Amino acid sequence: MSDQQHTAQLSPIHAFLTTRPQTALSRLYTRPSACLAVFRLLDDVARQIVMSLLWLDSKTGVDLTAWVVPNEDSRKHYAAALQDLVRLHIAKEANGRILLLPAFQSGLRRALTGGGEHRSFGVPCPGARGKEVMATEQLDDYASERWESILHFMVSSGSSAGRVPPPSIAVIFLLRRSGLMVPIGAERHPESRITSKGFQFLLEDSHTQLWELLLQYLAMSEDQGRDLVEVIGFLFMLGSMQLGQEYSTENLSETQDVMLQDFLDYGLIYRRNPDDHTRFYPTRLATTLTSTSSLAFTSSKHEKAASSEGFIILETNYRVYAYTENPLQIAVLNLFVALHSRFENLVIGRLTRESIKAALANGITADQIISYLTVHAHPMMHKNNPVLPVTVQDQIRLWQLEKNRLKSENGYLYEDFNSQGDFDLVLNYAKQLDVVLWENREKRKMFVREDGHENVREFIRRRAES
Amino acid sequence: MSSPSHLSLILDLTPVPWDALSHSTPPLRLKDFLAQALVFINAHLALRNENSVSVFGALPGRSMILYPPAGSTQVEADENTFHVFGQVDEGFMRSVEQEVEDLQEVEEDVPPALVGALTKSLCYINRLSNPPPPSNPSEAPPPPPHSRILLFSVSPDASVAYIPFMNCIFSAQKLKVAIDVCKLDESEVIFLHQACHLTGGAFVPITQREALLQYLSMCFLSETETRKTLAVPTLDKVDFRAACFCHKEIVDIGYVCSVCLSIFCQPVLECSTCRTKFSPDTLLRFGNMNLNGHAHTHSNGTVTA
Repeated sequence: MSDQQHTAQLSPIHAFLTTRPQTALSRLYTRPSACLAVFRLLDDVARQIVMSLLWLDSKTGVDLTAWVVPNEDSRKHYAAALQDLVRLHIAKEANGRILLLPAFQSGLRRALTGGGEHRSFGVPCPGARGKEVMATEQLDDYASERWESILHFMVSSGSSAGRVPPPSIAVIFLLRRSGLMVPIGAERHPESRITSKGFQFLLEDSHTQLWELLLQYLAMSEDQGRDLVEVIGFLFMLGSMQLGQEYSTENLSETQDVMLQDFLDYGLIYRRNPDDHTRFYPTRLATTLTSTSSLAFTSSKHEKAASSEGFIILETNYRVYAYTENPLQIAVLNLFVALHSRFENLVIGRLTRESIKAALANGITADQIISYLTVHAHPMMHKNNPVLPVTVQDQIRLWQLEKNRLKSENGYLYEDFNSQGDFDLVLNYAKQLDVVLWENREKRKMFVREDGHENVREFIRRRAES
Repeated sequence: MSSPSHLSLILDLTPVPWDALSHSTPPLRLKDFLAQALVFINAHLALRNENSVSVFGALPGRSMILYPPAGSTQVEADENTFHVFGQVDEGFMRSVEQEVEDLQEVEEDVPPALVGALTKSLCYINRLSNPPPPSNPSEAPPPPPHSRILLFSVSPDASVAYIPFMNCIFSAQKLKVAIDVCKLDESEVIFLHQACHLTGGAFVPITQREALLQYLSMCFLSETETRKTLAVPTLDKVDFRAACFCHKEIVDIGYVCSVCLSIFCQPVLECSTCRTKFSPDTLLRFGNMNLNGHAHTHSNGTVTA
């Protein structure tokens, strides 16, 4: 783990934050909840560096290199972690001495010790203290239903069968903006069609999906001239809230009130009384925003149907058995499986050349199909190593290769050489440059790659002059 | 991402050494110590959403679990504190106060039940690493957390508890649990040295008590995985002396039963553990022997091991 971690892909929000200017981040770090959330985005070593420095009041910084285990891997890992801290404007480094920037330092100290008057962890609703706590299952049901209705809408737009009522205009606008869907006909019209990027989106886990949409939301907010610090700060505040607790809107800014309304559509927020705009419940989608693991719904509705993971059995004969009755999962499977029977809690289908080809035509790649099947493999399948039958994996990849039988390259055709001698001379020269794609000595023709054209033409011109 | 980690704290709450500590220079009062320990716990919980913590206390003659509390506590949400921190802080402080209140007569001679606390902590960790199979077989159980123990020591070793203590260390080794020791006073603790050495934990004597929190977050916060990159202080010299089974005293040279490996401070005719009888001729070779194997005057060997 440790040797790969520093090369691992940054989470989308992490990458987004590194592009922000220092002034914006410093303002963000005045909220303890944001400091805590950013801290959790860091990798293990970076977090330890922050913790080692957090309680020091040194003005010159501290040299931590003596603590690094003396081997190549650790030194690299340490350097990468340090660089990340500098990019996020959490720390600065001078002559090997590291110093936490005061904004982040005081913010995180505040978060750890508690107290203060910043109110950045959300204001609990006074009426809801102690009694009348919403059951978490109820919230989960609501959140998953909302979220899946968006995904289901996307899936169903690709096929003609089983249309789903569209979500709100704002959601559709965001889906279009992020390139997951494209409008059919007029811009204002809710009729949309899913794009190949959208199909790829469907196969990812819900945590990644959510962040992908939220990043689009951030970009959109920026375009609309809203204060990004407020927007990000609110996201992190939601991430630190407690599931099942009702919160009050009294401390929220105008921007954040608007966001609350938007997040209602995604299922991040629940209002017990839709007309009461002063209080809200965060759902599990919101409270797990800053955690690293994917969501685990304790939904009561889909309990029988293996709620979130592990329902697909794939056999060597390409048959797929999916123990699910969740319409979204069935719709996603329908993207690349030819389904033929459906029972109470089971769907049976088959991976065929046609079904895979249809998926490939939609822009889904073989690797995505394989990873979806692996991630959602039934626990029984995990006894096998590898999880999926190798023959089926190979065949899916072969079907993808079939699609790419032609390879195109740009270049120039040379013909009409005066003599065989001239032709050979030019051919030899071009071969030395390794730019010949095709040649035919009898017809005195050759095809030269685009990047070699300039050289070869120059060579011929010089020959003609001399 | 790496798997979640569980931190089990063991606090030695024996009143006498704490009283001594609060009058030493610089003073470290129990109240201040608990406040710093709380911030340290918060820091551990801040590392990852899935991280968990348990706290055990040792008092003279008994040990108890301080966190998580047996019943669920309803904590009032506070807009200025992260709700996870709030719950832990409230539950932990409440049970410490309860225990300190219940403490009435202090029996001077009884050593703190560190072994009891350590055993409870290991049992708790064992339960976490072997969760019961989920009721729904199609759901994959969550990965068991990496666990480690941090022991705050304020009193010297109790050599009486040598055997159960070593058994705890071996159980910890088997569970792959590192035992870190934070030594708050200057007393001699060779068994704790051995515990750290054998389980791969850090041993840090606190020399500047006013900087306790800095020690805690620098040396004891990093997880097993992180320690491969950023090292933590370990001991250069470990005292491997053992305590004899007959008088529970630390010996430099011991006599070991050839059958069950029990240690005695002097030659005995019969092993008290496995009842093996040794031939008097063999014993004669050790010379200077007192065949009454339970005399209390044993000569501490002058040769160091």
